[in-house]
Amino acid sequence: MTVGRWVRVSAVVAAVLVSGGCGGLGASPEDAPNALTTMGFGLPDEHATARVAVFRDRFPDTDLRVNEGAFDEQQFLSAVASGEPPDLVYADRAKLGAYAARGAVEPIDDCLRSHGVDQAQFRPAAMRQVTYGGKVYGAPEFATVRLLIINNTAVRAAGVDPATVSSTDWSALADLSTRLADNADGRFRRIGFDPKLPDFLPLWAKANGVELITPDGRGVRLDDPAVVETLRYTTDLVKSQGTWAAFKAFKDGFNDFGADNAYAKDQLAVMPMDSFYINTLATNSPDVDVTITPFTDRRGEPVTELGGQAWAIPKGSRHPERACDFLVTMTATDTWVTAAKARRDALAAKGRPYGGTFTANRVADEEIFTTVYAAQGNRILDQGVPIVRALQDDSFALPASPAGPDLIRAWQQAATRVLTGAQTPEEALGQAQREADAALDRVLGR
Amino acid sequence: MRTRGRGFALAGLVVAAVAFGYPFAWLVSASLKDRAHVFDNALLPVPFAPQNFVEVWRAVPLLTWIGNSVAVGVAAAVAATLSSAVVAYGFARYRFRGRGLLFGLVLATMMLPGAVTMVPVYLEWHAVGLATTQVPLWAQNLFGSAFYIFLLRQFFLGLPSEVFDAARVDGAGPLRTFTAIALPLARPGMVVVFVFELRSAWTDLIKPLIYLREPQFYTLPRGLKTVLDRFGQGGESQWEIVLAASVVATVPMIVLFLCAQRYFVRGLVTQHVEQ
Amino acid sequence: MSRTERRAPWLFLSPWLLGFAAFTAGPMLVSLWLSFTRYDMLTPAEFVGTDNYRELFTDPKVATALGNTLFFTVLHVPLQIVLALVLASLLRRAGRAGGVFRTLLYLPVMTPPVALAALFLLLLNGQTGAINDVLGWFGFTGPNWTTDPAWIKPGLVLMSLWTVGSTAVIYLAALTRVPPELYEAAELDGASPWRRFRHVTLPMISGTVYFTVIVNTIASLQVFTEAYVMFYGNAQTEAGRDDSALFYVIYLFQQAFGSLRMGYASAMAWALFLVIALITALQVRASRRLVHYEGEVR
Repeated sequence: MTVGRWVRVSAVVAAVLVSGGCGGLGASPEDAPNALTTMGFGLPDEHATARVAVFRDRFPDTDLRVNEGAFDEQQFLSAVASGEPPDLVYADRAKLGAYAARGAVEPIDDCLRSHGVDQAQFRPAAMRQVTYGGKVYGAPEFATVRLLIINNTAVRAAGVDPATVSSTDWSALADLSTRLADNADGRFRRIGFDPKLPDFLPLWAKANGVELITPDGRGVRLDDPAVVETLRYTTDLVKSQGTWAAFKAFKDGFNDFGADNAYAKDQLAVMPMDSFYINTLATNSPDVDVTITPFTDRRGEPVTELGGQAWAIPKGSRHPERACDFLVTMTATDTWVTAAKARRDALAAKGRPYGGTFTANRVADEEIFTTVYAAQGNRILDQGVPIVRALQDDSFALPASPAGPDLIRAWQQAATRVLTGAQTPEEALGQAQREADAALDRVLGR
Repeated sequence: MRTRGRGFALAGLVVAAVAFGYPFAWLVSASLKDRAHVFDNALLPVPFAPQNFVEVWRAVPLLTWIGNSVAVGVAAAVAATLSSAVVAYGFARYRFRGRGLLFGLVLATMMLPGAVTMVPVYLEWHAVGLATTQVPLWAQNLFGSAFYIFLLRQFFLGLPSEVFDAARVDGAGPLRTFTAIALPLARPGMVVVFVFELRSAWTDLIKPLIYLREPQFYTLPRGLKTVLDRFGQGGESQWEIVLAASVVATVPMIVLFLCAQRYFVRGLVTQHVEQ
Repeated sequence: MSRTERRAPWLFLSPWLLGFAAFTAGPMLVSLWLSFTRYDMLTPAEFVGTDNYRELFTDPKVATALGNTLFFTVLHVPLQIVLALVLASLLRRAGRAGGVFRTLLYLPVMTPPVALAALFLLLLNGQTGAINDVLGWFGFTGPNWTTDPAWIKPGLVLMSLWTVGSTAVIYLAALTRVPPELYEAAELDGASPWRRFRHVTLPMISGTVYFTVIVNTIASLQVFTEAYVMFYGNAQTEAGRDDSALFYVIYLFQQAFGSLRMGYASAMAWALFLVIALITALQVRASRRLVHYEGEVR
């Protein structure tokens, strides 16, 4: 091929690409009057697909476009900033406060009111996460709680009755943890107790009597002595078993979502965990011998943190009314019940157990667990589901904060600095307090 | 003496080849294992699990992403090659006031951290309504790229000036001299630029991260990051899926290189980097 | 000279001039202006004077990120150059077999960094990874490359050497241009291989080495993708991760698109630009003493 021809061919190729063979060009689908676009929401199972089907059924003239893919903060913010936001966004509730403070999402009080939604149907902890400055910014969706999952085999082998394992007595737990750990020459074979740092620090602090964020969301209590004590205790739990580097590298190799998970392979004795995981265990390794029990504070009372996502309407949404219809429909009691049935039946068809549907909508859960869910003889679910149910109403959540993600980053990194031995708990939390204050000052213009 | 030196060199290369080949072998092997054996570090995939590729194919729109990567990569490479050749020729062929300064400016842009212009360039694309399309991933290449201008200028400088003088005598204008004489002679250099830029567009993550919003427009690296987030760390730790997707993302570049390498290496040898 | 001839260079240069204005000079001015503002993309930019620049000096993470980046660069660039030189020398002497090896050494360069990151995340794992298994055969207990703050950067350097082929091929090209007569003469003089390398090869390719040192340094100071994907790419991977692999551009990216601090990120970008300019200027000065230009022997 001569170069002249090469150049001509290249030019033709370029022309074809430019003239629309190449994707991403053409009219933007968001502009259509009946379109409704979402971001951050996927359709992995019937909980999603059945509810979307309910909406499509009820609003047949709306052209719903679900852009699947996990929520990406950078993508969302740049979309809002560029004036081309989706009509709806689906994100972790803990992030909403920051978006609300920046004006990236709109309040939905009027929307809920006009649709006659009783806000009291949502769990208080979930509402706390989506309420900022007295206004509601999101419709809460799922609700997970955190509880202890105990590997009976490992605990019994150490001569301990799994029923006696709890997070109430901190020094007893520390002793047990070192006994259960198996680590030779820096290579772990089993983790004794995994406190799930840094993610679970707010739960541990709550168990020690203190919330990391002040009720109005505009302050943090990271350098509080009780938080320092919490961080010292939990990081020591890890350090007494081995270095953080080895601990984390070992955990990175776990197959959490497979039949050969850490419980099945006896790589882990005890950890607090999000409640969805009992479902995972029940499905992938139904015969694994575990005890599920509430996480307790130091007085022995159950304590748990509620988590989950919410639907919100971004600033600049082109179809706010349709978006409102959508988020109300998606979180309505009858929609949830329909989805729960669809999920149960689909799983049954595959011969897999249904572990219930846990939502932030109390009324929906009530109905799901009286009419849809039934114990099926799966040891893990039969044990775990009632505990999750009991925990949900007494759960707590940190309040929405205008600097939420920055605050979380500040304390998570403080915990990490202690884990790696770079700082003492006092130093780390002192620094985190300053970083968090600075982040709050910036957002609040103080 | 000679043969001993050569034997020594070959031995060294074999050691290097093992060290450099091992990660590939591991990657391909692990992508063909089931999840329980990904970490066994054995080079033979036992049990053999080719269904990973089927599974990743079903889970994510790999074919769409490959298509996007090809479209973006070829557009970027064609645009960069042609425009850089045009500009390089201007610098190599003509003497004019301010040439040294301008060329210095071209080189200076190579030092400019992309981060400085990241935000404003994004705002520009937004202003013309193309911020969420694939256009920003390649269209900037229509204006020449410093490194390639530098490479191709060296190429044109290496051409004997007699051929141009002859062309002038024949009455060819500047454009005709360029297309009919300079470009054909610069072909090896242009192949290098084409492959370099195709590779760079094919493997880039930052721009797709900033510009692409909808999965159906993702290029492979952007898609691969989604696969990693969903199936890898922080996801469901189905590493075999991540590795299968990684193999799919890598193979086309390796095939391209194997096809182009004859030109590629010759092109590199004929360039005069050190002038 | 005719009018067309006078106009011709500007015709050829016009694409670049346009592009320079639209994608370099203009954005740089905007970025410079932004660096004196507080701008979150959602509300109008607000002029804050030199606040952002002052914060650069008090933000401990900027110092950490810069330190990490310099650490990486100081290890990565010399190792990359030396290894590339060694491999290129071996390739040159390998004769016809060289082609196969050359291809093999270059293949990692064609691998997308995201794929590379996923792969090495597993290879480097201190508990289950293959690299520590291999070290184990030789009786070494390998560190936790991906989680130990002291080893995370060396691990990234190790990983970066896998793509040494890009530099090695450039050296190979330079080496093949060294006139064989020079080696023959040196051999007749009884020069040892090291002396031949030191006094024949190195001077002849010093221009190329100089070029690659500068290009590699500039790229290395902007290292982003691998560490970002491996350690800071999403909330889950970031949790439990300290700042030991937080490179400058990663922090800049987080500030710009994570915290929406476009003004501060712009100030960070300009600071990086100055650091790069300074280091490059130092390298240029050093080169005046060390680099031997091919042109001079002619």
